[in-house]
Amino acid sequence: MSHFWIVLGQLESIKAMSTSKKVITKEEWEKKLKDVKIRKEDMNKLVMNFLVTEGYVEAAEKFRIESGTEPEIDLATISDRMAVKKAVQSGNVQDAIEKVNDLNPEILDTNPQLYFHLQQQRLIELIRYGKVEEALEFAQEELAPRGEENQCFLEELERTVALLAFEDVKNCPYGELLDVSQRLKTASEVNAAILTSQSREKDPKLPSLLKMLVWAQNQLDEKAAYPRINDLSTAKLEEPTV
Amino acid sequence: METKEAPAETGGVPFDLFKLSSRWDCSAVESSLVETLAVEEEPSHLNTFNSSGMFNMVSTDKMSVQYVGSPQHGYDVGGVQANCPAPTRRIAYYFEMTVKNAGQKGHVAIGFTTKDFNLRRQPGWDANSCGYHGDDGCLYHGHGKGEPFGPTYTSDDTVGAGINYSTQEFFFTKNGEIVGTVCKGIKGLLYPTIAVHGPNEEVAVNFGKQPFRFDIEAFMLKERRKQQELIDKLTLPPNVSHWIVRSYLLHYGYQDTLNSFDVESGIMSPHIPASQENGYHEQGDAYALNNRRTLRQLIRNGDIDSAFFRLRQWYPQTVQTDTSVICFLLHSQRFIEYIRAGQLIEAVNYARAELNKFFAIKPLDDLLEDVVALLAYEEPTKSCVGYLLEPAQREFVADAVNAMVLTTNLDAKYPEDPAASRLEMLLKQLTQCSLERRELNGDQGEAFDLHRVVANDKFECR
Repeated sequence: MSHFWIVLGQLESIKAMSTSKKVITKEEWEKKLKDVKIRKEDMNKLVMNFLVTEGYVEAAEKFRIESGTEPEIDLATISDRMAVKKAVQSGNVQDAIEKVNDLNPEILDTNPQLYFHLQQQRLIELIRYGKVEEALEFAQEELAPRGEENQCFLEELERTVALLAFEDVKNCPYGELLDVSQRLKTASEVNAAILTSQSREKDPKLPSLLKMLVWAQNQLDEKAAYPRINDLSTAKLEEPTV
Repeated sequence: METKEAPAETGGVPFDLFKLSSRWDCSAVESSLVETLAVEEEPSHLNTFNSSGMFNMVSTDKMSVQYVGSPQHGYDVGGVQANCPAPTRRIAYYFEMTVKNAGQKGHVAIGFTTKDFNLRRQPGWDANSCGYHGDDGCLYHGHGKGEPFGPTYTSDDTVGAGINYSTQEFFFTKNGEIVGTVCKGIKGLLYPTIAVHGPNEEVAVNFGKQPFRFDIEAFMLKERRKQQELIDKLTLPPNVSHWIVRSYLLHYGYQDTLNSFDVESGIMSPHIPASQENGYHEQGDAYALNNRRTLRQLIRNGDIDSAFFRLRQWYPQTVQTDTSVICFLLHSQRFIEYIRAGQLIEAVNYARAELNKFFAIKPLDDLLEDVVALLAYEEPTKSCVGYLLEPAQREFVADAVNAMVLTTNLDAKYPEDPAASRLEMLLKQLTQCSLERRELNGDQGEAFDLHRVVANDKFECR
């Protein structure tokens, strides 16, 4: 066993020599970090962007008052967007479609895929509540014509209609369509489409920046051993591993 | 760097004075940030001193070059470099050349060379150079034998040469289309270089004053997208952004926002677990939240007297030393509020009673001069110290007080800096990683700059 560790140790040191990575101690790194200037206003904007894009209307309004950060858009437009999202999440698809059209009829006109997914969600809700006749009628009148236009739509329609063939829909092979996650998926698709129509980024900047941090650390790993942050939620600096 | 350490007067509490002064000349910092982005000199014309002289003639506008000798051998090329090397702190550099006259043989070339390159040689023929040659369309990369590369080019053609710092490649274009790329393989600064080597040959260079034939903006955008796609593929722990935002609100005592945030997350995202069961340790984040919120609100409303009163009542240790930085900030702010209210006599009296002692304290005296200077202006908001009257200054003081209160939490497991939120630590780490990597990469490529990302409405990774 001890031999094993010695060999391993030698291998490590050989590896370290051959790659000759720069080693930056925690002390040096902390000194450098201290010199990095991050502006409070920029962080506030980042947080505001998160609240606005994710739809925290109340919180955004409170944050505007407490921090003096102006939101990038009229907060009222978030409420409308959130109402649509909520309608889909709670299964009121028809209501959601009306709300989207009230906001901007072009959103659904220019986005057939989104419109199809909303209709599909509506069909799923009808099946969920055992309204078989209504579901059949809706599928034939509203969805089938669209399926003829588009192969992908057709396949999705078939999967959805297949739910009707099972009495115990929850445990059938297509049961996942009835899952909450399907509603969330459709809801986030609508959310993104509304944001795009308002020429807003559909994703908040913060998660992108966090990913960028992970990426930047991975990139720097190739060149240097330095204190990493492995746990984003604590932001704790680790000792460099040489 | 000693000045960055808190003076002994702060009662041993770590306080980043540098941060303080950087807020103070916030406007100056802002412009210096912009400057560091633009500070890199860009080639603008041809270097007439360093050219091969005998065999070429650079035009008076230093934008074109003509061969004037009669070529006998391989050591009488007329090469010319740009006046300075290609800037490196960006994703790519690019320039173009138009062949005005290819002469008989069309021995024209475009490429990059290092500073000491022998300009009586074609770029690419010798080590530390690379060139795309017009007569044979070959790429020469460090020796006299070229590799088949792209089409030949001649009179009226426009060719371009660029360095892609993110892939470490040279790329060349002809008439707006990319011809090819090749691994850079040369270290150090590189000079845009053009060369002529035959009677009547004449070429004109464009360092960007005129629009390029090649769409370099689209090229760079594509490079950024490629990088962005790699980044987008990474996954984050679930809800980590949510918890970082929450901990930010806790850290700075934005309690009303926090309450709404919690209520709304409960409604909107039922899949986010409640804080006690989330597994994200909130550590001391909630420490003295109510008090911190109250102090913040008082300061934001300009009620400094009450803030002082509360601080003395709740955390006497933070304001014990009346020459400490925190006292300085609060007294200054009180003075600023008098100015805002137009109570100049009161301001003067206050300065005499509470502020003048700070003139004796080294790093604070400069800042104090700015504050007191407010008295000198009829319309202080429009003066050069007008930034002190902006809401951001109150926010700044509120943040400092908040940080001070956080230091009184003896149970805190705050890693290094009680004044820094987790978000701030993460953003610092991101910035530093990107700067470090660029440094280890020969100062090449773009570094992350939060301000640019935030200011940019359409977010693009840089």
